[in-house]
Amino acid sequence: MKLVLYLHMHQPWRLGRFRYVDLGSGRPYVDERRNLEIFRGIADRCYRPALSRLSMALREFSEFRFSLSVTGTFLEQAERAAPDVLELLREVVETKRVALLSETYYHSLAFLLPPPELQEEVDRHRAALRAEFGVQPKVLRMTELAYSDDLALFAQQGSFRGMLMEGWEGVLGDRPSTHVYSAASAPSVRLLPRHYRLSDDVGFRFSSKGWSEYPLTSEKYVQWLASTPGEVVNLFMDFETFGEHHPASSGILDFLSALPRSVRRSPGLEWATVEDALDLPDRGPVSVPVTISWADQNRDLGAWLGNDLQRSAFEAAKKVGVLARRARDPEILEVWRRLLTSDHFYYMYVGGHGADAGVHQYFSAYGSPYDAYANYMNALTDLRRRAIERLAP
Amino acid sequence: MVERTLHVLMIGWEWPPSHSGGLGVHVFELCQELARMGHRITFLLPFEGARTEIPGVSFRTPHDAGSTPYPGAYEIHGSPSGGWGDDDIDRFNRWIAGLPDDGYDILHAHDWFGAVGAARLAHRLSLPFVLTVHSTEYDRSLGHPWKQILAREQTGIDRADRVIAVSRHLKSQLVRQYRAAPDKVRVVYNAVRPSERLSAVTGGRKVVLYLGRLAAMKGVDTFLRAAARVAPAVPDALFVVAGEGPEFPRLLALAAHLNLSEQVMFLGRVTDEERTTLLTSTSVFVLPSVVEPFGIAALEAMAAGVPAIVSKTSGVAEITNSVFTVDFWDIDEFASRISELLAYPALRHTMGEAGRVSATREGWEERAIQTVGVYFELVTRGRR
Repeated sequence: MKLVLYLHMHQPWRLGRFRYVDLGSGRPYVDERRNLEIFRGIADRCYRPALSRLSMALREFSEFRFSLSVTGTFLEQAERAAPDVLELLREVVETKRVALLSETYYHSLAFLLPPPELQEEVDRHRAALRAEFGVQPKVLRMTELAYSDDLALFAQQGSFRGMLMEGWEGVLGDRPSTHVYSAASAPSVRLLPRHYRLSDDVGFRFSSKGWSEYPLTSEKYVQWLASTPGEVVNLFMDFETFGEHHPASSGILDFLSALPRSVRRSPGLEWATVEDALDLPDRGPVSVPVTISWADQNRDLGAWLGNDLQRSAFEAAKKVGVLARRARDPEILEVWRRLLTSDHFYYMYVGGHGADAGVHQYFSAYGSPYDAYANYMNALTDLRRRAIERLAP
Repeated sequence: MVERTLHVLMIGWEWPPSHSGGLGVHVFELCQELARMGHRITFLLPFEGARTEIPGVSFRTPHDAGSTPYPGAYEIHGSPSGGWGDDDIDRFNRWIAGLPDDGYDILHAHDWFGAVGAARLAHRLSLPFVLTVHSTEYDRSLGHPWKQILAREQTGIDRADRVIAVSRHLKSQLVRQYRAAPDKVRVVYNAVRPSERLSAVTGGRKVVLYLGRLAAMKGVDTFLRAAARVAPAVPDALFVVAGEGPEFPRLLALAAHLNLSEQVMFLGRVTDEERTTLLTSTSVFVLPSVVEPFGIAALEAMAAGVPAIVSKTSGVAEITNSVFTVDFWDIDEFASRISELLAYPALRHTMGEAGRVSATREGWEERAIQTVGVYFELVTRGRR
């Protein structure tokens, strides 16, 4: 049984308060200082300690391998707020036992926009990875693990050999998420389905005292992994799981350190990167006509485009995009693309069912979805004005 | 266990239809729910006159009060020599203190007006004494309290066995400024009656509404100054000030000074029916109070589906996330929030709907149950 540990690293450029009275003032939308402060905090609690432990594990256990995705906005912030985190990243990538993944530079919803937006953002990310780490990924993940037949086709056209997806019964039916499949729309693209239960045991439940399996030790967890039938267990989660979503006091960092040792003692398990897993046998085509994601109970795009606020903001962003492209001003285009980052729409999520609502509030940069929406729309309205000014003869 | 029904002796100083603020609404709705739950209420008022009757609630007034039209407590404060003077208030309190025992289980006074008499009566008849505080003299006077009123408030708070505050914010103020023991103060919020969803018929102009008394603590000048920032960019916006009070002449002058005459309308006092109609055609409700222990007008607007902007200190902000909160002094922020709600229909509708749901989630019945819960902290449960 192969074991694929894949961790996702991302930080958005959060907007500062941009009030309606600030329209036309030339004030920046992004509060860079606040973002870098947040980044430094997370670097202290999570990036630095967790990367150090992963790096140590790579040195100590020659069979240990894992995978990482790093967004462009993360790289920008790391460079300015904590360059040593970038150094740690380079160090682990240099071992050649860490695979990097492709995605959009901005962690954006570009896959819902007309071409060539998605292509340009993925290319930009690819260029950034080449410059930073000298690698060219073979596997594509889309923002929030979005996946559909169309996206597989896009991956195939970009010569990607694999894509990640949520291993959800809603699309897999009776087929286990512990196999590798191929895309029905693009047979050369292998699909790696996330084992959401085992992933969320660590990602969501680890520090929850009300959980019947609390506390989770690495021995117990590895027993679960070893007794899972199939060919591969895909453990996909946020990198921030280790020290940020769960604080160090929960024991999560020690759990991470202990995992390779426990896996070594379990003879049936073998570490693999997402690229290694591509060589597993193809267990048949999977068709996903409607886009799925890894979010919430419904696994749809409801977390970003589920309510009127989100949809109206996204529609407005699309329209401004047409102007921004026509304006041929790199700065305007760059600001617009930062506004496509999915996090902005996530902050506008209203209400929701029990567990999901708590998760949304935890990740929000605002007091309420209305604050998030108003602020976003102000920035977008201002950008629209700038683009129009540039277009005027 | 079947809970016994109580005979509540309640003391207020306003009752519909002649009420000027949240207190009148609170006592009316509370009594209605208490009566529905089977409790009996004897309600003491300082005046005779028109009263909306509720089965289960009987009224008593001092014989010497005659049929003097009741001037409203804030006017009492504003002009202590005219209307109700200190002597009249003393006479009301002496009358309360000397009342015979008619088998009351609990005594419940509201605010300072009858608090001293209530404290003495409770002592004489050994009745448990609950005092609800709706606002404080510090706030009503913006930090320049009228000493006689302050003394009455302090006596009430000191002598009450339980104090009910209409928000957590107010509770912490009672603990800080009146040295109330925190463990005897409970919070019971105001509520609104659920109403039919009122669809917004904005009829051409976009109405931005302030509705409340025109008193200094209400910060209506902030509303006008924010209006002056919004108005030039939104020529079809109409800023409506509904209510009356001592600040009216000053506010009228300010509107003229801000060159707002075309876009501001002063409506004066509005009836309940007029208020309903007004809310139906309102796009944005603004409550910019410097101090606002609760802010029931904002809750009523939300219940009608109108998105509200309230100052951060408003108690109403404690029970809902579906409002914009703004520092009471931040005119730019008020102007921005108003503009945003006017400019973005999806925001106006989503927030209006969410506000309606959260404003009507807990009604007066829940508030009455919470109040009775406070009574039973002092009175034995179960039948006598």
